[in-house]
Amino acid sequence: MTTSQHPRAPRRTRPAAAVALAAALALTATACGDDGTQAGAEGEGKGTIEFWDNNGGVRTPVWKKIIAEFEKQNPDIDVKYVPVPITEVQSKYDTAIAGDGLPDVGGVSTSYLANMVAQGALDPVTDRIADSPLKGKLSKGMVDSVRAAGGDDKELFSVPTSANQGMLWYRKDLFDKAGLDAPDSWENFYTAADELTEADRNKFGFTIRGGAGSVAQALEMMYAQSGIDAFWDGDKTTLNAPENVEALEKYAGLYKKSTPSADLNNDFTKMVAQFGSGEIGMLQHNLGSYTDHVKAFGKEKVGGIPLPASAEGAPRTLASNPVDGLGLFRGSENKAAAWKFIEFAASHEMNSLWNEEAGSIPANNDAADDAWINDAEPVKAAMESLNDPETKIVQLPYYLPDWNNISKADMEPDFQKVLLGQMTAQDFADKLAGLFNEAQAEWKEQQK
Amino acid sequence: MTTAVTTQQATVSGADTGAGDAPPPRATRRGGRGIADSAPRWQIFLPLGLYLLFTLIPFYWMLLFALRPAGSTSLVPWPATTAHFDKVWNDLGFAIFFRNSLLVGVASLIMTTVVALAGGYALARFKFRGRNGFLLALLCSQFIPGALMLVPLFEIFRNLNLVNSLWSVVIAETVFQLPLSLILISGFIRNVPGELEEAAWVDGCGRFRAFCAVVLPLLRPGLIAVGSFAFVHSWNHFLFALMFLSSQEKYTIPVGLNYTIGAESVDLGALAAGGVVAAVPVVIVFAFIQKWLIAGFSAGAVKG
Repeated sequence: MTTSQHPRAPRRTRPAAAVALAAALALTATACGDDGTQAGAEGEGKGTIEFWDNNGGVRTPVWKKIIAEFEKQNPDIDVKYVPVPITEVQSKYDTAIAGDGLPDVGGVSTSYLANMVAQGALDPVTDRIADSPLKGKLSKGMVDSVRAAGGDDKELFSVPTSANQGMLWYRKDLFDKAGLDAPDSWENFYTAADELTEADRNKFGFTIRGGAGSVAQALEMMYAQSGIDAFWDGDKTTLNAPENVEALEKYAGLYKKSTPSADLNNDFTKMVAQFGSGEIGMLQHNLGSYTDHVKAFGKEKVGGIPLPASAEGAPRTLASNPVDGLGLFRGSENKAAAWKFIEFAASHEMNSLWNEEAGSIPANNDAADDAWINDAEPVKAAMESLNDPETKIVQLPYYLPDWNNISKADMEPDFQKVLLGQMTAQDFADKLAGLFNEAQAEWKEQQK
Repeated sequence: MTTAVTTQQATVSGADTGAGDAPPPRATRRGGRGIADSAPRWQIFLPLGLYLLFTLIPFYWMLLFALRPAGSTSLVPWPATTAHFDKVWNDLGFAIFFRNSLLVGVASLIMTTVVALAGGYALARFKFRGRNGFLLALLCSQFIPGALMLVPLFEIFRNLNLVNSLWSVVIAETVFQLPLSLILISGFIRNVPGELEEAAWVDGCGRFRAFCAVVLPLLRPGLIAVGSFAFVHSWNHFLFALMFLSSQEKYTIPVGLNYTIGAESVDLGALAAGGVVAAVPVVIVFAFIQKWLIAGFSAGAVKG
């Protein structure tokens, strides 16, 4: 029986195996529970609620201030704050949805809102907003983006709190020295990119995003230049329309001509760091990097303007950026208290405080006149362009479950090929359009 | 009896060192020209130096960013600042994360080693139906990524009220490290001649006593290898801590490191300082156990 059997060794393998098997089966059985979509309850409007911050760490201090103020005003509610690193927040939500471990309230971005709505994790908040002091106070552009991103034309599945917007950042000192006008038109932009470049002296007019996140940024540049104001024309995307392809050709043509060759692998960190430490005239990135630019150059030497209109007198056509918001989870057993917290966090004072720290555009319109916005010119300019009735927002299809796969894993290597001249802008746009059309058709089929 | 056991132990200890840390036989060193004798020294030290440089540059980068002030572009960490360490330790909560990581690492080390020892002994010393199938299943389990098991594990821990408890991470880490540890330990135990145990039995020892007195001391390299592997893996692992814990006071260092990465910016100074804090215990562990670790892995690899 054994290679080395003790003389007094008893045989007790069968009972032990039976116990082990029973334990394993019992543990496995416990894994067959609910998912995170049960109905929950309103509760009594007091007690403890759990809040997951979807950008934990970086935004922790400002959330702690807001929570302390909320608890002061609502002494019978305790908020348990859970900071979740932004890089993994989607996985954490997905696991919690499948394992029924969701909190009461959570930070939710439109970039993964559709996925959560599709899994039935969130309660609609349209009626709650209508009955609250937030009614009529939230930015229309952001509300539209949240509604579109949820994949349901009627309901809102999060209360928007802030948004980002693609900007053109430029070095005022370098522009002044070269006698150039601010890049407030595409002509000025391409002229400055060309004239500020002295490759042999390591000076470049522009830094392009060739690595992670390149496709979404290219889409922003394409629609802003082409003036096409909708992503869909019926069931087909407009992204491979001739005007967009022409814009992509011009944009990609900047690589190496007016940018460093190392830009091929630029993600936002490298791009922003490069702009902050080198002799580069312009950068396209969202408002989130404003504080980095101010740190690097000081307020006086850096300017930030929304992407220019396609032509003089034409309206701006801005691609929608992910909108951050607060979601109320369907499984919460204390929705009344959770809603009080959401309402408080989205109120004028708190929303303004949060966005001032984050350098983003507040969703609460009352914050528009706050002093810090007037001090932060780029934020003010972005907010004005977003709220300008003439501005057309091109709603990118964040609601597609395949949005991230297509715009990142599938197409980023191809964008690098376009930069390297190994693929034409037309082929790239056609391939990308094909993938989006297919994903849209699948999504529509699933909605039936 | 004690004398007999001690004598046997000494004999086998001497024999075992040949597999691990003993110097090569004298004859081999003097007879014939080994690689070390025939090659010019620079042919050995130049590639090694280049490799060392390649390995150390990321560490230098980490120290540079951790020690130089924010906004500095200097290539040397001077003037040095401790501001980033202060930030990660006090503001970001690394003091708590460090303690939690240590608890998870040590508990996983103990549980993995004890269970692997018991299981490895059974695999090495007993022949039972399904043993080969079990070994095959252990090997196959190495191909299952932890992420695949997240949801079922989450549900199990939730039903056991272990979500947001460090025990959930310890148990998950132990479970995922056991297959490899079992295979390694059973290989080490198989290398210890059964006759040694039988001699102890003849002297009146029970199986457990014989195991403790004769086998266990000979497994030191293997235990150190398995234990250190379990500790370092638990120390570095991010996924389970993030998924099973929902409280800042329970998070571990890898989760804390991700706090320095925002949606639009990365606090490189804090990230690097956090990296130094995370690396120090691992470097210390390896510095102390290096000799045993190499002996352990090579013995397990050759004779397992």
